[in-house]
Amino acid sequence: MRLRKLVIVGGPNVGKSVIFNSLTKRYVTVSNYPGTTVEVMRGKAIIEERKFEVVDTPGMYSLCPITEEERVSRSILLREKPEVVLQVVDAKNLERMLPLTLQLIEAEVPLVLDLNFMDEAQKLGMKIDLSSLEAQIGIPVVGTVATEGKGMNLLKKRLGQYSKKDAQPIKYDRIIDSSIKEAKDLLKGEYPISKRSIITLLLQEDPEIASLVRLKEGENYPFIKKTLEDVKNRYSHPMNYVFGLYRQKKASQIADLVTAPFASPKVGLGERLSRWMMKPLTGFPIVLLTLFGLYEFVGVFGAQISVDFLENIVFGRYISPFMTEWVRRIIPWLFLQNLFVGEYGIITLGIRYAVAIILPIVATFFFAFSFIEDTGYLPRLAMFVDRLFKKVGLNGRAVIPIVLGFGCDAMATITTRTLETKRERILASFLLALAIPCSAQLGVILALLAGKPKSFSIWAGVVALNFLLIGYLASRVLPGEKPLFYMEVPPLRWPKLSNILSKTYSRVEWYFKEVLPIFVLASILIWAGKITGLFDLAIRGLEPLVQGIGLPSETAVVFLYGFFRRDFGAAGLFDLTRTGGLSGVELVVAVVTLTLFVPCIAQFSITIKERGLKTGLAMVAFIFPFAFLVGFLLNLALNLLGVKL
Amino acid sequence: MKCALCGLEFKEEEGVSRCRGCPLARSCGLVRCPNCGYEVPLEPKFLKAFKKWRKRINETKR
Repeated sequence: MRLRKLVIVGGPNVGKSVIFNSLTKRYVTVSNYPGTTVEVMRGKAIIEERKFEVVDTPGMYSLCPITEEERVSRSILLREKPEVVLQVVDAKNLERMLPLTLQLIEAEVPLVLDLNFMDEAQKLGMKIDLSSLEAQIGIPVVGTVATEGKGMNLLKKRLGQYSKKDAQPIKYDRIIDSSIKEAKDLLKGEYPISKRSIITLLLQEDPEIASLVRLKEGENYPFIKKTLEDVKNRYSHPMNYVFGLYRQKKASQIADLVTAPFASPKVGLGERLSRWMMKPLTGFPIVLLTLFGLYEFVGVFGAQISVDFLENIVFGRYISPFMTEWVRRIIPWLFLQNLFVGEYGIITLGIRYAVAIILPIVATFFFAFSFIEDTGYLPRLAMFVDRLFKKVGLNGRAVIPIVLGFGCDAMATITTRTLETKRERILASFLLALAIPCSAQLGVILALLAGKPKSFSIWAGVVALNFLLIGYLASRVLPGEKPLFYMEVPPLRWPKLSNILSKTYSRVEWYFKEVLPIFVLASILIWAGKITGLFDLAIRGLEPLVQGIGLPSETAVVFLYGFFRRDFGAAGLFDLTRTGGLSGVELVVAVVTLTLFVPCIAQFSITIKERGLKTGLAMVAFIFPFAFLVGFLLNLALNLLGVKL
Repeated sequence: MKCALCGLEFKEEEGVSRCRGCPLARSCGLVRCPNCGYEVPLEPKFLKAFKKWRKRINETKR
């Protein structure tokens, strides 16, 4: 006899497995879902004297899957025809989790909603009116604290006695609703979920659903596809974004209605801090404070203590003299000696820069970055920056690639693919190439300006001003709609030392693997350039430019390094500063110019690949003179004002 | 693994597969979140082995 099937769905970490264990007790099997490596737990249970097969599915956020786990969970829903579906949500995050509920209701699955962790929600001062929620969404709702067994009896009762009611699906705008109605009539086949849901998934370009409809509708499919293409063309944003917004808006409305004002007027410190981080007035000082903390940590600990030790003691006293002596002894030819231990030698320049300058700075920077990341501050920073972006007419969704640019600009340029319009992609790539320093460059810049808060403020102010001004002007030159932006904000948490150390190690290892060969290659190219005379030619070409912005001619070489990698250039500047080659004003001018300077080879090649040769070259053609123009103006302004740094 | 930006939990392979079109994908040690695109470095093999070893020790103790 076929058992009735009860499928448990919900996001990760909402307590699904505890509920599964509580329902099944024993007779549990774990197996991979066919054709995947995703594990699915199945067990037997007797609920209200009815026998069930209970299936615990992997975490899912949406009916339109992104991950393999979500795909498996949806397959179970579609293929296994459950008698009852139990959606478990974290009561604390009801608003974030209701969009999936709305999708399941729209799909007409036989749904029961369980709000788990009710105790934690209460501790936060949340009072959720379960009967009001039930009335709002039209399906049975239960509250539980599964780990303590609270509410489980009622949950079992509601599951055992479940009988399907018609709940009202979410309403979208007139265009979508009427097109759903029209397209529904075109679907002739039988589907495991509602036709309304099938249409919305087709509109969201779900490949699996598209194959299913093609199979069921046969010759009729091209006509259905054409009808839906016409609908999609009426929106300037991807449909999953449009649907996502509608569902989130509805979820917020419902959550507002059913959640009573906080029982206690006291909002926890974490929640208050979280709100402050995203508000413009309080968010800005927090950004400054974070930046200041980074600056102190990287600048003092990374740049002064660690670099001093590695460069002056390890390299200065031991490695460089030993290697120079050794290479000179075994290689008789001066030109070949220079390849390894000359002014631009692999060991004395490439490896020294990578190990003695970049490594300690980057390691401390990554440690601080991992700490910030582990607290959950980054999504809040994205939300805060989004508000700022909108104020200057920039696209909100570009926040993600821009935030990512602080890691690696080349990778962030690839992420601009996720932006919908060509205008957005060009704008974001351009700003990444112009004004966003990558993690390594930022680390070295923080180190360069350590102990010079005035210089640091000037650098940050000029770069931020350029970013906003150029972004604003570019958005005017490239007109278009400004899409809305939303993202889920996970809770703030205490960072864990083991997490931070593990992330720092992973990042340093990744970075070092990537950077060392390039630094070595740069040394070889410079050595070859010295022999052929090309290096000196390039330096001579750059000298008038650097002199024009008030810098000594020795800095020309730093800009040449910057072509290879931005951080290589910054390391060169660091080296030059340590030998007393630059005054305070010259240093700020050089750092600002180098930050705005043309992107490194990797970023440049990716920009060309992503945006095309013409756009890539146009960006460089603008950025190169612009960086020097800003340097020139800054130098002029600082000298006219008689600023001493 | 869990994305530090949007909180999505995903498998390493799913993040890697997102980067297929990238010219640096072969040499790059980063994993990209399939939801928001945020990148995290791959966990080094020795760290994975260490965590596995610790888990085994803990299980044996129990």
